[in-house]
Amino acid sequence: MRFLFEPGFFSSAPVRTALVIGALAAVISAVVGVATVVRGQSFAGHALTDVATAGGSGAFFTGISPLVGFIGAGVFGAGAMDVIGMERLRSRDIATGIVLSVATGFAALFLFLDASKSATTGATQQILFGSIFTVNSSIVPFVIGLSVLTLIVMGLIYRPLLLSSLSGELASARGIKLRRVGLLFMLTLAIAVGVSSIAIGSVLSTALLIGPAATSLRLTTNMRNAISVSIALGVVATWLGVLLAYDSYYWFPSSRGLPVSFFIVALILLAYVVSGVPAIRRFAAQSAPGRRHMQLASRSVVAKRASEAT
Amino acid sequence: MPASFDQSLWIFRSGQRSGVALVATLTVTALSLAGCSSLVASVGSKPGVIEAVGAENQYANVISQIGGKYVAVTSVLDNPNIDPHNFEASPSVAAEVGRAELIVQNGVGYDGFMNSIESASPNAKRKVIIAQKVLGLSNDTSNPHLWYDPRTMPTVAQALARDFAALEPTHRNYFQARLKAFDVSLQPWFNAIAAFKSKYAGTAVAVTEPVGNYLLQAMGARVLTPFVFQADIMNGVDPAPEDITLENGFLTTHEAKVFCYNEQVVDSLTSSLKATAKAAGVPVVGIYETMPTPGYDYQTWMMAEVAAIQAAVVHQTSTEVL
Repeated sequence: MRFLFEPGFFSSAPVRTALVIGALAAVISAVVGVATVVRGQSFAGHALTDVATAGGSGAFFTGISPLVGFIGAGVFGAGAMDVIGMERLRSRDIATGIVLSVATGFAALFLFLDASKSATTGATQQILFGSIFTVNSSIVPFVIGLSVLTLIVMGLIYRPLLLSSLSGELASARGIKLRRVGLLFMLTLAIAVGVSSIAIGSVLSTALLIGPAATSLRLTTNMRNAISVSIALGVVATWLGVLLAYDSYYWFPSSRGLPVSFFIVALILLAYVVSGVPAIRRFAAQSAPGRRHMQLASRSVVAKRASEAT
Repeated sequence: MPASFDQSLWIFRSGQRSGVALVATLTVTALSLAGCSSLVASVGSKPGVIEAVGAENQYANVISQIGGKYVAVTSVLDNPNIDPHNFEASPSVAAEVGRAELIVQNGVGYDGFMNSIESASPNAKRKVIIAQKVLGLSNDTSNPHLWYDPRTMPTVAQALARDFAALEPTHRNYFQARLKAFDVSLQPWFNAIAAFKSKYAGTAVAVTEPVGNYLLQAMGARVLTPFVFQADIMNGVDPAPEDITLENGFLTTHEAKVFCYNEQVVDSLTSSLKATAKAAGVPVVGIYETMPTPGYDYQTWMMAEVAAIQAAVVHQTSTEVL
C-alpha cells in the first residue's frame, strides 16, 4: 500500500477536492467528448478551450472565480460560433478559426494584465495548465450542479444530436431542429471545457475531451459502450494522475511535486497509443457485449450508429 | 502633426507628381516629432539637483531622506497592488532611468529589469547602488526581500551618502548630517525588534511567502512554513498538496500563533489560507512587498509591521491592512 499511496493521500483535503473535481470533469468531458468526436467537432472543442482561456484570465483579472470566466466565455464563444455559422462544414471551420484567434488575443491581453497590473500571482500557470490542488473546495457543489445539468441536456439531445451528426437531411425530415440541437450541444461543450479547465487547465482541457473519447471509439462499436469506456478511461487517467502527482513529491530530494496536468495528459496519450495496438482492439471487439465480430470498416460503424439513433 | 499627415495624404490622393512637396511634408512631420521629444527631455533636471531613481519605493524613500533638497527622486515600483515579481518596465520608466545619475536597486534578481534598462542607456557618470552588492550577498540568496533585514538600509544609506558626496562634493557635510539623522531615526525600530525578541523569541509563525522573513528572523520568530512552499507561492507555481496540507495544519491546530500574509502576492490558495486562519482564530498580519503609500516612510512602515506582529502575538489582533 505504501508503495502505491504515499502517506496522507486519503486524508489530504486538497487531494479529496482534486479527486472530486477531476472525476466530474472526466465524466462530462467523456460524454460530451464522444459526441464531439463523432460530429467531427474536435476543432470547435479546441477553439472553446481558447475562449475559456480568455474568460478565465479575464475573470482572474477582475477577481471573479476563474470557473465563472471559463464557462461564461465558453458559452459566449459557442454562441458566437453558432451565429457566424456552425452547421455548414466549410463556414464551420472558418467560424471556429476566427473565434479561436480573437479569444487567444484576449487571453494574451488578460494574462499580461494579470501579471503586470494586479496583485495576483501564478495566473498564467493556473489558467493554462490548471492547479487542481489549489481549487477552493467551496466550488464543488457548483461544479456538481453544472455536471448534472450537462448530463441532463446531453440525455435530452443525445438521439437527435447523433442523427443530425450522421445525416442532416434525415434529421430535418424527422422534424429535428438542427440549429437548436447544435447550439445546445455547443453549450454543453462549453461547460465541459470550463470544468476540465479548472481541473487540468484550459489549454489541456482538449486532452480530457478528445483523448478518452477517441480511444473508446477505437475500442467499441456502439455509442453506449463508447461513452462508458470513455468515462472509465477519463476517470482512471485523472485519478491516477492525481495519485502520481501526489507521490511525485517523494521522488526527488527537493520535495517538489510535479504538475497533475502532465500526468493526466501522459496517461491519456498512453491509453490512446495502447488502444491502437491490433491485439488490444481484437480483444476489445471480442469482449464487447453483444458483438459477434468487429466492424472495422468505418462505414458499417456509421450505419450502426445511425440505426441506433433512429 | 495631424495637419501635415492630412496634407501628405492629400498629395497622394490628388495624384500630383509633387515628390518635392511630399518630402517637404515628411520633413516637417519629422521635425515636429523631434521637437516633441526634445521638449520631453528638457523637463526636470534643475541645476544642482541630482536626479535619482529607486527601483522600489522604499529605496526611493531612503534616497530622498539622505539626498534631501539636492535630489529629485522617482520610484519605479510603488503601486501596492502590483506584484513586483511580475513587473515589466514601460518606456517612461526607461526614460527616467536613462536620465538618472544615481540609482538604488535591490538585486538578487528581484529587479533584474533595471539592469537591462541601464545597459540600454549607458552613462559613465551614473552611480548604481545594489543592496545585494553592498551587503555582500551571493546571487543565489534565496530570499530577495532584503529591505526587511534591519542591516540593509543603514548600509545602503552609507553608500548613498558616499555617492551623493561624489556627485556633489560641495554638499558632503549636508549628506553626512542626513545620514546620521537617518541612522538615529532607525533606533526605535531596532529597539522594538530587540524588545520583541527578548520577550517572545521562538514564536511560531506561518507565512505565505518569504517577504517578511528577514524581519521575522531578526525578531526571533520561528517560521514554520517550508521554504519550498514559500518559493512556489512567490514564483507563481503550484505548491505540492503535501505542503498545502502541512500549511493548513499549522493554522487549524494553532501551532502557528501568527499568519503573515503578503497583501501584494495573492492567489486563490493564499486567499483560502487566509480564510482558514481567520476561521481558526489565528491572527493575520499583512506584510507589504513595497512601502504602503501615502502616509508612510521606511521607518514608520517597518515600525508598523513590528507593531502589527507584536499585537498579533500579544493581543491576538489581526492587522490585514496598514
